Amino acid sequence: MRIRDFLFRRYAIPTVVILLLLSALILISLRVKERKGVAFMDGLLMEISSPFQKGSTSVINKIKGVWEGYLFLVHLHKENEQLKKRMADLQRENDQMREMVLSHERLRKLLQFRETLSSTVIAAEMVGRDPSSWFKSVTINKGEKDGVRKGMAVISSEGVIGQILKTAPSHSVVLLITDYNSAIDSIIQRTRAKAIVEGGGENRCQLKYLLRAEDVVPGDKVITSGLGGNFPKGLMIGEIRKVDKKGHGIFQYAELVPSVDFTRLEEVLVIKESPPPPAEEKVKKVKKAK
Amino acid sequence: MKRILIPVFLGVLFLTLQTTWLALPFIRWIRPDIVLVLTLYLGISSPPISGGVLVFFLGYLMDLFSGNGFGLYAFSRPFLFYCAQLLKDRIYLESFPSRSLFVFLFALAEGLTLLILLKALNPEHLPNLYPLFFTVFLPQSLSTALLSSVLFSLLKKGSSLLYAEPGTGIGGK
Repeated sequence: MRIRDFLFRRYAIPTVVILLLLSALILISLRVKERKGVAFMDGLLMEISSPFQKGSTSVINKIKGVWEGYLFLVHLHKENEQLKKRMADLQRENDQMREMVLSHERLRKLLQFRETLSSTVIAAEMVGRDPSSWFKSVTINKGEKDGVRKGMAVISSEGVIGQILKTAPSHSVVLLITDYNSAIDSIIQRTRAKAIVEGGGENRCQLKYLLRAEDVVPGDKVITSGLGGNFPKGLMIGEIRKVDKKGHGIFQYAELVPSVDFTRLEEVLVIKESPPPPAEEKVKKVKKAK
Repeated sequence: MKRILIPVFLGVLFLTLQTTWLALPFIRWIRPDIVLVLTLYLGISSPPISGGVLVFFLGYLMDLFSGNGFGLYAFSRPFLFYCAQLLKDRIYLESFPSRSLFVFLFALAEGLTLLILLKALNPEHLPNLYPLFFTVFLPQSLSTALLSSVLFSLLKKGSSLLYAEPGTGIGGK
């Protein structure tokens, strides 16, 4: 009784201050140690506050629709001409691609390659962005109820977006590949050189652990290697913008522009089934087992 | 009840605005941290216990919607709140420059706190994070500071309209 009086009457304010800061530190410690917070509380709070984001985003989309549909028609004719030309170019490109796909199919059957990209994907809409400028994440409107789990890969038709960081029953947070915490195993499409793509902040990434001897030039495309388990092999990550061979050591560094424009992100796909591990990984596992 | 629910609603509203409207492409380089402005306003105007709990809740929400995996805002926001509580009677906050400077310094202090915590908690070296301080965080702190004076006035006016007695509620002491 005396202790309670002492703590909550005479020193109420310092007690609350200490309790609050201590609980924050305990939360940090929980998250650092187990990489998870208070799951129930997190899920509940996300479920309560996400509908506000959803509502606000739908208002933004409506206003954008009105703007683009009715008010932004000044250069419509010129744009129409450009689009027709672009369509003709794309048609030609499409024919070439069809030919390439057919040839690829024949080779695939011939070599009995296994399908690497899982067909089970979940379509989701982006409802909000990271409230802080330090971190790069987006909130999507699909969660555990839809089968979304932590670590699942998130892609769009343009390429890799990131992976699921936190989940709630019907919402999830996606860690973008541009976040400094993100690291993806990748290969350069042209030379098959291996490297790690790390987040570099505002709409850029860095290519690390790329051997100095490897031939890499600006414009080279970077794709996922399929190692690590989260991302299927062959997904487009981005294009190399700058190569840095300065300094000493066995590695060179390169700057990468992601193929996805994160400022215009609206719809995404979550890869539900994790793909089978690539052959190299299997060999490694067998060797370890031996 | 009104004095608890209205600030909670306002906090969620500010967070929603920050994650949607203020994250639009044309503003993202300078997007102001309006939740920080609300935190500091509560720091200079609300009671230490209910205000502290509310700010802790807002920090927790920030962490939930952020790519930050450690839960740093649940610590940094109450910390800033109590620093503002300590300073509120010692500084003049009635003019535009003084309010802006107050918020700017607190925004910088939070940025440094976050950097130190991230460095301490991350086993790996984070070279990509430091340039963000100048390219993103400094412009954001400046825009937050410039907007803060207007928001402080609006919040003050709003609280005096909502609560009949002047000097009580979220705007009072």
